[in-house]
Amino acid sequence: MKIELVLRSYVWETHRMTDREYLNRALSLMHNGQWFGWRKTNDDGNVIPNDQRMTYENVIVHNSSITKPTEAEVNAKIQEIKDAETKKINDKASANAKLKALGLTDDEIEALK
Amino acid sequence: MTAILKVDTIQDTSGNNIINESSDTITIGASGDTTNIVGTLQNNGAALALGSLTMADNWRLTSDASFDSTKTDLTANLEQVDTTGQGTIGSAMTVSSGIFTFPSTGIYLVTAILSASKSGNSRYVEVHINVTTNNSSYATVAQGTDSINQTDSGSTKCNPIAQTLIDVTNTTNVKVKFSCQAYASCAAAGATNENRTCFTFIRLGDT
Repeated sequence: MKIELVLRSYVWETHRMTDREYLNRALSLMHNGQWFGWRKTNDDGNVIPNDQRMTYENVIVHNSSITKPTEAEVNAKIQEIKDAETKKINDKASANAKLKALGLTDDEIEALK
Repeated sequence: MTAILKVDTIQDTSGNNIINESSDTITIGASGDTTNIVGTLQNNGAALALGSLTMADNWRLTSDASFDSTKTDLTANLEQVDTTGQGTIGSAMTVSSGIFTFPSTGIYLVTAILSASKSGNSRYVEVHINVTTNNSSYATVAQGTDSINQTDSGSTKCNPIAQTLIDVTNTTNVKVKFSCQAYASCAAAGATNENRTCFTFIRLGDT
């Protein structure tokens, strides 16, 4: 039971954004400012539904000095964000364990946060 | 044949005033009466809205955008809300490069909500409403401030809100734009199907 709870906690911690939110965030972190957006119509001129616009295929670049990153580059940035999140989870767990090893109670550790 | 009836008062058969004119003031009905207007009540040709708003508009940011300690105008990726279930009233705002133009003169309630996100800390995160009265130079007239103190591994969010009344005396010269700023680099959250960072304009009455 305890293991299951820990695993559920891990999943919650590492999947707090949707895929399109990770895409949106990754793009925003690649350059400062409003350099990109999402197209509203497809190649045939048909309107793309609001909830389907935020995909790599629909990325448009506003800034002429910036080249649209490849999908691999974007995916690498997304992985970088996820890795950073995972590292923070692990760092937190490690720090908690070290504090407990020093003799601090859970309440004392919580008070430090 | 045109007929002119010259009277100061029209009464019902019981002697109660229906219409009375006195010292250039026309009074229709009396206390306790119900006056039912069928059709459009006008003020010198312009429709009067009694008890209801004539204009309410809502716009949003559609993409995330990074900003930092430099005051950054939001100049792109702005759209009027159009997801099923959302709606507006009356004439819309227009926008060009982040500069919003009002559809008519009046007093407007303007609200800016910034959905900011960061994996880390930022001791201040601001959103600003900036107004020009000469279609050129802008001054900040409202600032909303919040802060981000990361609580766990993922991005932590905050929602600074700025709000003000704008006196739009001239739609050519009085315009607004929005900007944001933070102690440490943050993302202004945007989405194409729901409001995150968003802006509301409500016309409350005449200037």
